[in-house]
Amino acid sequence: MLKIITKEDLHKILISLLSGFEIIGPRELSHKGIFYEPITDMKSLYWGEGFATEPVKKFFLSPSEYLFKGRYDNGKEVLDDLPLTRNKRIIIGVRPCEAIGLTLLDKVFNADEYKDEFYLNNRERTILVGLSCLKPDKSCFCTSLGGSPESNRGLDVLIFLGGNEFIIEIITETAKEILKNSGRDLSQAETKAWELDRKRRKESLNYRIEVPESLDKIFESEYWEDVSRSCISCGVCTFLCPTCHCFDLVDEKRKKLRCYDGCAFCDFTLEASGVNPRLAKKERYRQRVFHKFDYFKKNFKENLCVGCGRCIRFCPVKINIAEVVDKAPLVKS
Amino acid sequence: MVEELRVKARELLKNKQVELVIGYQRASDGVSATPCFIENEKDTDLLIWDAYCVYNLSSYLKDHPGRKIGIVAKDCDLRSVVVLLQENQLKRENLFILEMECQGVIDERRLQFSDKQNQEISFAQKCKSCQSSKLSISDYVIKDRGEKRKTPDDYDEYGPIRKMEVKATSERLKFWQEEFFRCIRCYACRQICPMCYCPKCVAEQAQPFWFSKAINLEGNFSWNVTRAMHLAGRCIDCGECERACPVGIPLRDINKKIEKDVKELFSYEAGSSTEAKSLFACFNKNDPEGFIK
Repeated sequence: MLKIITKEDLHKILISLLSGFEIIGPRELSHKGIFYEPITDMKSLYWGEGFATEPVKKFFLSPSEYLFKGRYDNGKEVLDDLPLTRNKRIIIGVRPCEAIGLTLLDKVFNADEYKDEFYLNNRERTILVGLSCLKPDKSCFCTSLGGSPESNRGLDVLIFLGGNEFIIEIITETAKEILKNSGRDLSQAETKAWELDRKRRKESLNYRIEVPESLDKIFESEYWEDVSRSCISCGVCTFLCPTCHCFDLVDEKRKKLRCYDGCAFCDFTLEASGVNPRLAKKERYRQRVFHKFDYFKKNFKENLCVGCGRCIRFCPVKINIAEVVDKAPLVKS
Repeated sequence: MVEELRVKARELLKNKQVELVIGYQRASDGVSATPCFIENEKDTDLLIWDAYCVYNLSSYLKDHPGRKIGIVAKDCDLRSVVVLLQENQLKRENLFILEMECQGVIDERRLQFSDKQNQEISFAQKCKSCQSSKLSISDYVIKDRGEKRKTPDDYDEYGPIRKMEVKATSERLKFWQEEFFRCIRCYACRQICPMCYCPKCVAEQAQPFWFSKAINLEGNFSWNVTRAMHLAGRCIDCGECERACPVGIPLRDINKKIEKDVKELFSYEAGSSTEAKSLFACFNKNDPEGFIK
C-alpha cells in the first residue's frame, strides 16, 4: 500500500504515537557522526543521506545484556530470570541494508533449534520504518549481495523522501493498522513517478563486486596473510557490522552478562588451556571473511554481509572487505 | 619526495639493509592512504607520500620482532619510536628510519563533516601545534622542497584543555560521561596506539576482573580512564586514538591534559629526547609530592 504524506504530518503522527511507543531515530552529532537515539522532539530527526555509525542491530542484540542473576536462598543457589523490557518501539530511518541484516540475524536467533528469547522479544516489540537511500556512499555495495537502496525486506514501512512530501510504502499489517487514516493515496501519475524513482534508486549504486560461491580452495592461500597485515585487531568492523553476532559470556556481580565479542580480537579464541587456535592476524581476518562469505552461506544459503560499507568506512587502517572478497578468487592457492 | 622515497626503499631492500619496508600506499578509494608492507624491491613503486598519510606506522613494529625494518615516519611518529626505544621495545640496529619532512596531515573526519570540502585542506588538530623536527634519530631524511606551512605563533595547543580546566568538576564529569556513554569498547584506541604493546591488556584480564566488561557507563569510564593513565608521560600526541575512534570521542583532549600536567609538574615531554629516561624510570628529589597526603 502506498501513501503520500507531508513531513509535518509524519512528525505529528510520530508525536501522537509517543504515548504508546518509544521512538528511536537517527540524530546527527556534529563532528561525530549520526547515531540512533530515543527521540521525543521530531525536529531533531536526521533526514539526510548520511549513514548512522552504529547499525540498528544494537537494539536487538544488545552490546551488553544481563541474562540472569544468581543468589543464595537459605544456603541454596537460586537463579532468577531478569525481567524483559516489553515496551513497544518504533525505529525510524532504518536503512534497507540494516533491515536485511536483521533478517539474517533471525536465521541464527530464531532458528528451529534455538530461539533466543531476548532477541525475539526485541524483534516482536519493534516496528521498523525504513528510509530508502538516494545517494549511496562510496563504501556501499549492497546490490552485490542481493540488497538494494530501495529494498523493503524486513521492514514494516519504507519511506521515499522527495521534497517536503514523502511517499510511504506500507508493508505489514501492523503498519497498515497504525497508518490507515494518515496521508492520501497516490494518483496514477504519482505512482508512475514513484516507480521511476524507485528504479533510479536501484540503479544508483554502480559499484559491484563478485562474491564467489565458496572460498574453500583458498583457505591455505598466502592471500590472507597479505590482506590482513595492516589489520590492527580492533573491534570496529565486527561491532559496527549489522550482521556480526558473536558474543562473550561473562560473570559479573553474580549476574551472567552477554556482550559483543569479535573474531578480530586476539583473545577471541583463547582457550582455558592457554592454546589459541587463531593466534595470527591472518587466521582471524580469514575467519571473518569465511564466516561471512562461506560458512554462513553453507548453513543458511545466504552471505552474512549486506554490503552496508561500515567496516570499510570506519576501519582505522582502511581495509576494504569488498575488495578483499572481489579479488579473492583470482589468487591461486 | 615520493620518487626519492621509492629509490631509497629499493636500495635498502636490494642491499639487504632491511627485510621489510613499512610505508604508505594508496587505498582502494583512490584518495586516502593505507599502510603497506614491502618485502620485494619490485614493489617499492607502491609507496606514496602526501597529506593522507595519517597513520603512525610505528605501531606495526611490534608485529615483526627480530626483523630488520625500514619505516617511513613523520616527525610525530619519530617521537613514538623514541619512547619505544626508551622502553626497550625496539633494537635501534634493527631499524632504518626514513623520515619524511611533513607539512601536516589531513583530518578525514572533519573533511567528511565540513561544508566546504573542496575549498581548503582540513589539517589535523595535532598539526597546528607541530614544532617540526627537533629530533635527529633518522637514518635518512627526505626533505620537502615546497614552501613551509606556517603554524600560527599564537596557537595555544592547550587551549581546549584550559577551557575545560576552569569548569566545575560536576560539569566536567557530565561532559565525559556523555562522551564515554557512546564508547562501544571496540578497543581501536588501544590497538592503534604505538604505546599500547602489553601482551595482555588490563581490559582482557579475567582473573581478577579489573573493570566491568559491560558496555555501559561504568565499564566505559573505567576503560577510558585506565587507558589514559597508562599513557601518562608516554603519549606523544600522534592523535591516532582519536582518529581511530568510530564514535568520535575526543580522546586527544584527555591525553593533552595529562601531557600538560606532566610538563608542568616534571618538566617532562615524552619522546622529545633520545637521551632521557622514561618519566616513571627517573626520580628527582625535587619532584613535587603534593599528591602524597
